[in-house]
Amino acid sequence: MNPFASRPLPRRQFVADLGLGFTGLSLGAMLFGDGVARAASETPPDGQPHFPPRAKSVIWIFLSGGYSHVETFDPKPALTKYAGLTFDKTPLENPLNSPKHHARFRSVTAQEVNVRDVYPTIYPMQVGFGKHGQCGVEITDWWPHLGECVDDIAFVRNMWTTDNDHFAENQIHTGRHRLEEQQPTLGSWVHYGLGTMNENLPKFVVLGGPTNSTTRYSIDSLYLGPQHGGVPLALDPLNPLPFGRRSAQQSAAEQRNEYELIAKLNGLSAVEYPADAQLRARIHSYELAFRMQSAVPEALDFKPETEEVRKQYGMDADATRPAGQKLLAARRLIERGVRFVQVYPSGYGTWDSHQKLKEKHTQLCASVDKPVAGLLRDMKQRGLLKDTLVVFCTEFGRTPGLERRSGGTDGRDHHPHGFTVWFAGAGIRPGIVHGETDELGYHALGDGHYVTDMHATVLHLLGLDGRRLEVPGRKRIDMDYGKVIREILA
Amino acid sequence: MDVPLVLRGRAVAALILLAASAAVAAPGPDFTRDILPILSAHCFECHGPDDADRKAKLRLDVPEGALGKGESGDLAIVPGKSAESEVMRRIASADADEVMPPPKTKRKLTARQIELLKSWIDGGAKWGQHWAFVQPKRAAFPEGSAGHSIDRFLAAKMEQPPAPEASKPALLRRVSVDLIGLPPTRDELQAFLADEAPDAYERLVERLLNDPRHGERWARHWMDVWRYSDWYGRRLVPDVWNSAPQIWRWRDWIVRSLNADKGYDRMVKEMLAADEVAPGDLEARVATGYLVRNWYALNPNQWMRDNVEHTAKAFLGLTMNCAHCHDHKYDPLTREDYFNFRAFFEPIYVRQDRVPGDADPGKYQDYNYSQVRKIVRAGAVTVFDKDVRALTWLYHGGDERNRQTERAPARPAPPGFLEARVQVEPVKLPTSVSFPGGQSFVRQDEVASAKAALAAAEAKIKPAGVALTSANEKRLATAGCRPEHVGEQERVLEDADLALRVAEKQAEAARVRQEAIAARIAADDAKFLGAPGELPKLAAAAGQAEQQLAVAQARVAALEAEQVLRANDEKVSAAADPKQRETATAARKKAEIDRDLKKQALTKAETAAQKPATDYTPLSPVYPRESSGRRRALAEWIVGRENPLAARVAVNHIWLRHFHTPLVATVYDFGRSGAQPTHPELFDWLAVELMESGWSMKHLHRLIVTSGAYRRVSASAEAAPKDPANRTYWRMNPARMEAEAVRDGVLHLAGQLDGRMGGQELETADMATSRRRTLYFASYPEIGGKGELTGLFDAPDPNDCYRRSESILPQQALALTNSQLVHEASGAIAQRLWAALDEPQRQPPAFITAAFEQLLSRAPAAAELAECTAFLTRQADAAKAAAKNTDGAARARDSLVRVLLNHHEFVTVK
Repeated sequence: MNPFASRPLPRRQFVADLGLGFTGLSLGAMLFGDGVARAASETPPDGQPHFPPRAKSVIWIFLSGGYSHVETFDPKPALTKYAGLTFDKTPLENPLNSPKHHARFRSVTAQEVNVRDVYPTIYPMQVGFGKHGQCGVEITDWWPHLGECVDDIAFVRNMWTTDNDHFAENQIHTGRHRLEEQQPTLGSWVHYGLGTMNENLPKFVVLGGPTNSTTRYSIDSLYLGPQHGGVPLALDPLNPLPFGRRSAQQSAAEQRNEYELIAKLNGLSAVEYPADAQLRARIHSYELAFRMQSAVPEALDFKPETEEVRKQYGMDADATRPAGQKLLAARRLIERGVRFVQVYPSGYGTWDSHQKLKEKHTQLCASVDKPVAGLLRDMKQRGLLKDTLVVFCTEFGRTPGLERRSGGTDGRDHHPHGFTVWFAGAGIRPGIVHGETDELGYHALGDGHYVTDMHATVLHLLGLDGRRLEVPGRKRIDMDYGKVIREILA
Repeated sequence: MDVPLVLRGRAVAALILLAASAAVAAPGPDFTRDILPILSAHCFECHGPDDADRKAKLRLDVPEGALGKGESGDLAIVPGKSAESEVMRRIASADADEVMPPPKTKRKLTARQIELLKSWIDGGAKWGQHWAFVQPKRAAFPEGSAGHSIDRFLAAKMEQPPAPEASKPALLRRVSVDLIGLPPTRDELQAFLADEAPDAYERLVERLLNDPRHGERWARHWMDVWRYSDWYGRRLVPDVWNSAPQIWRWRDWIVRSLNADKGYDRMVKEMLAADEVAPGDLEARVATGYLVRNWYALNPNQWMRDNVEHTAKAFLGLTMNCAHCHDHKYDPLTREDYFNFRAFFEPIYVRQDRVPGDADPGKYQDYNYSQVRKIVRAGAVTVFDKDVRALTWLYHGGDERNRQTERAPARPAPPGFLEARVQVEPVKLPTSVSFPGGQSFVRQDEVASAKAALAAAEAKIKPAGVALTSANEKRLATAGCRPEHVGEQERVLEDADLALRVAEKQAEAARVRQEAIAARIAADDAKFLGAPGELPKLAAAAGQAEQQLAVAQARVAALEAEQVLRANDEKVSAAADPKQRETATAARKKAEIDRDLKKQALTKAETAAQKPATDYTPLSPVYPRESSGRRRALAEWIVGRENPLAARVAVNHIWLRHFHTPLVATVYDFGRSGAQPTHPELFDWLAVELMESGWSMKHLHRLIVTSGAYRRVSASAEAAPKDPANRTYWRMNPARMEAEAVRDGVLHLAGQLDGRMGGQELETADMATSRRRTLYFASYPEIGGKGELTGLFDAPDPNDCYRRSESILPQQALALTNSQLVHEASGAIAQRLWAALDEPQRQPPAFITAAFEQLLSRAPAAAELAECTAFLTRQADAAKAAAKNTDGAARARDSLVRVLLNHHEFVTVK
């Protein structure tokens, strides 16, 4: 029942033929498509990759609050060995004396206002660990399901970032520290650079986030324009996006009639003004809107999924259901051609274990372990992992030392100097560990990887070169582009 | 792609300019117009003003460098001899190691650019200045031109015949949305059409410029440029990190100032330095909200950085921020210039002041990491010089930890290359500013509030006494009753007794408060206002009165806590089941703890009072009596006649918002890597006109909207015009209405727009139900800082919106078809239009015509009328099919209105 089936204008007059993506027919792009450039406008990317891509789409899983790298994917027996000693009392090099300490980190708060404390007393590992898979990668015992998937995963253990507070959640997505000029988020660059695979769905979807009013930068397109921003979808198929549901005072037939008349009236104007690109974009946007109203709910409707699949994602248990639903929705969106799905399995700051780390991490790991493993297995079985890159990350690690603030006895503070993320799927060398932190898990060794190296890697696998996505008048610096982590590429 | 895009655009522009000039007289290339853009785009990054990264010790942005020798010893440019100029040799070189720009920069000169350079060198390599760094002068009108000043300049560059004047309805809609942000109603349309006087349009313009909604409309434009933001930081906590909860007073000042046609120069002065140019005037001082908006509690350096960056971008069109870590790559701005500019702002801090009729906001809360910063709504927030001796240290790498203490601190000065001299003179501040507590309204408010508190407390005494008597009588009457009943009456009696005691103690506290205020005022008089009297004695008396007040208030608090505890006792005994009992017992425990704390506080206050005070709290905080005068000097220089930048930047912003394209594309960058003006003579003429009109923005608006260019049709009848991008303004540019105009327009046409002006910002969540204008809703750079609907229509990002984006999204279609706002408004519009039709006219064609006129400001064409008529029948059937007892025809009319709100022409200003 598509009211546009009989619209009065020949199809070729519509912008769909210009190859423009969904949720964004920017005016600049529209006009350029007609060979008409508005002042200061630039040639937008043509939607084609710069070189043959290894991946078509991305699932970016972000855990907010900072999981403890040493109690997840970078176990450090030395912490248990030297537990209770201060850094300067171990035979190891004191990480506080490393020049990396000053070079890599910058406090948001001014020195005269506040400096976060440094906690030098070593806190033992709160969980055991063991080798997993053919590759024998060591991860902790809090990941029984993921432990069975390590042969599909490439771990990067020498990540670092520069903010020691939660704005780092934005930073891992934008590449910039709180005190610097903000940049568009990774998903927006992907949206900007690549065309659509299903114009009835947004190209860049956000599930379960942004987690907080302060984390908008993690989905924001800023100067690229709102059409390239992440579109948060609610998991409710009845009402997944703002204004995406027909008014209760109106029947489907009535609404269809309205859309039909809108198309007819705008079509009459289009006959009169054939050169009006904005008008044609508007007409097309109504076609898309009408289809989106059904396409988005369909993608988020789990009814067609079998019981077995739901169980695989842990949707049969309270603890794992929230993460499972989001990840299953992510798979369904990827299946339907969404480019970039940014998933927040846990809420804002949930992993932030200043106190009661053991108790919190036990619960939190259990809440995502099975769903994430389920996603990898399901994607692999369906052949989706061949074309989809899965990234799993957090904003920073946690201190090897015991946090003593407010009399704390059982937690770790924020730690930007070293943390672990992992990649799986399209173009990734499976079953490997790349990079390391020192024996105490303090510093990422070698050059390590700043967060934009993750961006460079993602863009590279999608066939994009960040430096070729330049926007005139918007200066980016070297650090924004990052370097591809070649060691983890297949 | 071998040429970076930015260069390609500029190269095209250069060619066009060249072609234009060649057509006239073909003199040699002009340095400013033709050569500097090439050098800037291709050479300055390595051979520009930044000496840290300069390659081969060669500097090409100044003649001393370009005409000299590089590291190689060869002369870069030999005037008159391109063949001997190393620059030309290197550009032409086929050797990848030699050719300039180096291949890895992916910058390559076009043949045309090389030709230009060659011809310029052969012509003597005459140096000139970047256009924006030279004072604008009123150019003569092009020869033979006539008519409106703007059109005379535009005509000279016209490449094709201009489009005809737009129809009256189109003009009415265009200028209404433009000047007051609202489309005209059907009544306004008919009135305008009926006005056949030759000056009907001019009078319309006057009416709109004098409409108070004009100030609201243009305030929003300037709020984009000046980065208006309501408070933010951690909205969900809430915790105020950025801007301030009283910042809306600055927004209201903008609206007021625009309506009063306050000069742009004066507005700039007040925003940067009202505390120095109008210190006694709090209504003007709230303009410094421009600086308060940048406040960042966690890091004062960030506050300074934002002040520098955005003052330079908003008023000067300079990207001063690029000179933060290193000298500017393109413009002659050094890192020292950056810190000198910062020094203008170094002494500032934020203060809160009481406003008449509003509560006392207290002292501005300093930052403390472990304390949440409260939302203070009372009073006004402004900037003042807290420390006139504050030093501005240079630091490396954009990181304040790398302070260069070996260098002398920076001194306030404009960028050196502009060769401006500013005189920083300290400003003596009136006592009302250094000690606001001495103002009579503050005292009157305090005295009145204490008096009211006393009256309220005394009023409670009598009824409490009556209640006690009655309770006593009832208690006496219980002789011989059941013990439960006796106990009950006993309790009532005790409650009544306590209530009377509370009332009495409240009255007593109120009396003591009156005494304390009187004593503090007396001490303030002696201390700050030069009144006779022995200050130590008066101060001690005031301090002791405050001690007594503390005791009296603590006593009231303790008694009130006792009341709460007794109420909890009652709940425990009244509990019906164990669960209720458990909850009630827990609550009682809390109440008991609180009562004990209050008792302790009382004891503490009593103990403190035993040691008589020698000092007291003045009625307000005390501030310095002098301001450095730095920001006044800065503002006076910015809007001074000698500064080449300020008027141009302002004109460009105004022009952009009327014509939807700017005269200089890079609206915040007038530097050498920015764009060239498309119409330099017109641009400079307008800049001078603005300054000479006393910086009257209404004058400029009037001038622009009465030009022929503004009044042309926007649609092109030609299939292939010569100038499709309309660089020459041969037609008007159509534009999508801004987010605010879309929402306000819907409400306005439904007769629902609430015209109240000003006041504290409203919550964005209420935008769907409230009918106030959109500019009064909160706007801040956090999630929730834009309305759900307006966010889809490119609502401004308060961190960076020198120019709005204009997108067309499917979600906009969903918002306009499905939102509650549109559904309610379309029903209201349909009903009003239907009711306004005379009985015999209540037929579909008349209704459709009325709806088109109301929503699109025009009558429907025959084909449209036919489609809509058929629709009304079809939709009435569909409505009846959906709900039996409905008035299908009425519902269909609502539907038709909704369709027209979704018409491309509704959201478009043609």
